[in-house]
Amino acid sequence: MSGDHIHPEPTTFLRKHVFSFDHKVIAKQFLWFGMLWLLIGGVMAMMIRWQLANPGQPVPVLGALLFPRTGGVIDPASYNMLFTMHGTIMIFLGLTPVLIGCFGNWCIPLMIGARDMIFPTLNMLSFWTVFLGGMVGLWSMFVPLGASEAGWTGYPTLSTTVGTQGTGETLWAVAVFLIGASSIMGGINYITTIIRLRAPGMGWMDMPLTVWGLFFTAVLNVLFLPVIGSAMLLLIMDRVFGTAFYVPASLLTGGSGGDPILYQHLFWIFGHPEVYILILPAWGIVADLLSFFARKPAFGYKVTVGAMFAVTVLSAVVYGHHMFTTGLSAMLGESFMLLTMIISVPGEILFFNWLHTLWKGSLRLTTPMLFAMGVIFVFGLGGLTGLYLATISTDIFLHDTYFVVGHFHLTMAASALFGAFGATYFFFPKMFGRMLDERLGKLHFWTTIIPLTVVFSTMFVSGYSGMPRRYYDHTSADYLKPLQHLNVLTSVAAFVLGASQLIFAWNFVRSRWWGKKAVDNPWEIGTLDWSMPTPVPHYNFKEIPVVHTGPHEFSHPALKGRDWIPQTEKLPA
Amino acid sequence: MTATSATAALPLPRESARARVDATLGMLFFIGSWSMAFGTLFLSFLILRDRVGTWPPPGIALPSFPLASLATAVLLGSSVALHLALRRARAGRQATGAGTGATAAAARGFGALWAVGLGLGCAFAALQWWLWWALLAAGTRPEAGLYESLFFGLTWVHAAHVAIALLALLWVQVGIACGRYGSQRIVVAQNSALFWHFMDAVWVLLYLGFFVF
Repeated sequence: MSGDHIHPEPTTFLRKHVFSFDHKVIAKQFLWFGMLWLLIGGVMAMMIRWQLANPGQPVPVLGALLFPRTGGVIDPASYNMLFTMHGTIMIFLGLTPVLIGCFGNWCIPLMIGARDMIFPTLNMLSFWTVFLGGMVGLWSMFVPLGASEAGWTGYPTLSTTVGTQGTGETLWAVAVFLIGASSIMGGINYITTIIRLRAPGMGWMDMPLTVWGLFFTAVLNVLFLPVIGSAMLLLIMDRVFGTAFYVPASLLTGGSGGDPILYQHLFWIFGHPEVYILILPAWGIVADLLSFFARKPAFGYKVTVGAMFAVTVLSAVVYGHHMFTTGLSAMLGESFMLLTMIISVPGEILFFNWLHTLWKGSLRLTTPMLFAMGVIFVFGLGGLTGLYLATISTDIFLHDTYFVVGHFHLTMAASALFGAFGATYFFFPKMFGRMLDERLGKLHFWTTIIPLTVVFSTMFVSGYSGMPRRYYDHTSADYLKPLQHLNVLTSVAAFVLGASQLIFAWNFVRSRWWGKKAVDNPWEIGTLDWSMPTPVPHYNFKEIPVVHTGPHEFSHPALKGRDWIPQTEKLPA
Repeated sequence: MTATSATAALPLPRESARARVDATLGMLFFIGSWSMAFGTLFLSFLILRDRVGTWPPPGIALPSFPLASLATAVLLGSSVALHLALRRARAGRQATGAGTGATAAAARGFGALWAVGLGLGCAFAALQWWLWWALLAAGTRPEAGLYESLFFGLTWVHAAHVAIALLALLWVQVGIACGRYGSQRIVVAQNSALFWHFMDAVWVLLYLGFFVF
């Protein structure tokens, strides 16, 4: 169980590539899995945008295949399924496996100087559990009445049997439960590994910030996924056994009932920490990348750690800002409002720390660096709009409009996804022994960030103008007809955004097998993972390294002839 | 279940103190996580119960108080038995230079007391089953209303975890018999018992919530 001795190398195909205990293999499994689901979720987004821009028009190419009964047109029920599964897939089957499953697994042991995770069997189980969850989610799309239609939030009473009949919703809840279980397993593994397996000399304040971000994410995962797990259990029981946790009166007998708002509380007690779960790894990665490619120490390392810690703690007590329109008492609402505004402060601190890291740095504008800098922009923009949603008086009007959609896509989808892209371009050489093409990478970056900004900024305008979310056809309401051009603009930009991702997909697949071979440390970074040869041996470190320096010792005046130093070397006097 | 296999040199190496800490830390985080899960269920119970004027609601055939009390006592007894079993095993580890005699006695005590704990745990499961069966026979069904939903729902979730915990206890029992677990390799048993004690605590809270307060 402890990472001390070197285990023999696996020999069979199954042990090497399928049921592997090696964190590096599991990381790659999570990566492929997550990228596949990001593709599926992305295609769903394209279909949503098609419908909104061209209501009632058959979807080109995919329409005949996916919606044969309606001649290629997305019917309202299918539209509901699309936005439900898009959200669920992107969060649980896309971002989580890529940022936390892949980069958590890849980075943590290598960066702290360990041979593997502390519980390798649990690690393997965590991948196959999320795989199973994905399969259940996929299955839910093929049952007779189709997939869940109640939104990724699944509020009762829409999500209990009257609102959504059929097994799709139940399977959705089971899938979320399984995926949650997988993340809890991973979380326990990450926390215990970071506490117990740091190499000698690797103090808590000598770890790369990527590890800190993943640590706090793991803590949130372990604490709050069980909450949604229980919430899903109660929902499943309501649907399958006719219990009355969330329905106001028992459907079968008319007896006493429960409370639909209870679900909202339980869901958002998890749901708000979830968004921090998704962004914390990206924050850590961005803080590291900015330092690496500015050839400067990360400004305010300890303050950044403190800010991440503050966000972790506060994330538990802000969830009510998702429920301002449910009739909360004024005092409760105002408390949530105040706390939500307070939780924006650590994010703002990080923003300034990032800028200060760049200030007077020797910038190397590689693709990972561009994505890291891109996060500063999209998170800054998205974060600012959060303040309008934190304020109750404006949130009353903005709730359930496209303003919210724009906000969370910028802060979550764009920021976390850019963090994931940055990490992918950055770690690719060590993971696969080849470089991703730099020109294609830069093209991918610019053709992503520009349309992305158009898509989600336009949503602020349409949302502020009153356009509700989760509507099938905005032109069906007279007061929304004048806003339809905004829908068209958003969709056109979204199609460009979607097409740009093909550049990445092409780059990834081509470079994986035919890319330029990478040297061991192409980016000239001193963290322990880059001290490994490529490919990294299955045992990682032949001898457990002894750490003498921090992770961001760039451009130190005492260094001669180079601007970086491995963490295993002492700084010259 | 003879002690001879335990008196022979264990084929597996003794576990290090570090490995014990690693595994126990993992189990503690797991229990912390699961406390949030059961905490959510209890929170829901308290919130929903608060809305009902009289509790328990009138006109429902309630679960049997004597049966539930007996089940609670049996469950607590099983935890005590497991605790004593581990104490015996740890004493066997501390018996330095005492030769195979003391080790054998310790191993026998460990296996026997663990079996008592496992047996009482199974008895609890049987009593739980009887409790449900009696309730259903009296006409109280889970879909009938809020009280029934809460009672059946929460006890089902607890029981599912008890089932898994019993499998873990059984695994340890078999392991003790095969010499896989003993005084020198105790952490899996310790952590299984820890989880069992946690399940115990959750049951006590359920008992208090449904039968006492």
